[in-house]
Amino acid sequence: MPLSHLNFYSAFILSSLGLAFHRAHLISALLCLESMMLSMYIALSIWPIENQTPSPTLMPVLMLAFSACEAGTGLAMLVASTRTHGSDHLHNLNLLQC
Amino acid sequence: MAYFVLFLGIGFVLAALAVASNPSPYYGVVGLVFGSIVGCGWLVSLGASFVSLVLFMVYLGGMLVVFVYSVSLAADPFPQAWGDRHVMGYVVGLGLVVGLGLALGGLEIKFGVETIDSVGLFFVRLDFSGVAMLYSCGVGMFLVAGWGLLLTLFVVLELVRGLSRGAIRAV
Repeated sequence: MPLSHLNFYSAFILSSLGLAFHRAHLISALLCLESMMLSMYIALSIWPIENQTPSPTLMPVLMLAFSACEAGTGLAMLVASTRTHGSDHLHNLNLLQC
Repeated sequence: MAYFVLFLGIGFVLAALAVASNPSPYYGVVGLVFGSIVGCGWLVSLGASFVSLVLFMVYLGGMLVVFVYSVSLAADPFPQAWGDRHVMGYVVGLGLVVGLGLALGGLEIKFGVETIDSVGLFFVRLDFSGVAMLYSCGVGMFLVAGWGLLLTLFVVLELVRGLSRGAIRAV
């Protein structure tokens, strides 16, 4: 694998592993999601430079707009869960336990 | 100087490692800020200055500022630090995952990417002309993105409304 591809690919894998592991706070999972979005932005920006085609350059800008939507919604849910449960600890979100 | 891009790429992976193995959300945000700065430097050293500035202003100056003050709402008053045994276990474990991928996949060091204006063939730079196509060929997606952002505003307002309406409030 070319070295630049390996850099953002391993950054994406690390961030998704950080999202998957059990954590204390909900916002740690949101930060790992943001890191995944950042590595995808870098990947989508480097690809047109390697292929020397200008038109895919609008893809990272569009992805950033939708990533901003997603980050805002995630933070609104964080605020809602803090107001309801008192904190954003993940082990407090246990209404569906059997 | 040819190794500077390599150094920035390794810095990007280390920033993602810092975010994934954070002892506390404060240090996770520091890792994310470092990662976006290094990512911007990486894009600039490849010649794509416009997408790098878009990342800087929108991501670092817009979204990460919102994350920083949300972390101040949600994080512990006495956070763990990087030197704890539990945190260093996460760092070493996740670093070994990357090392395993490197060992299994192999590595080809390819220096020399073509220049941003096709070695003098273009009049304008590649990323400027590409993003300008968002307004000409990609106007449909531009309008959809604008509508989605407006919709997200109302979604956020509805989620944090509180007492009388909203689906998440217990009281």
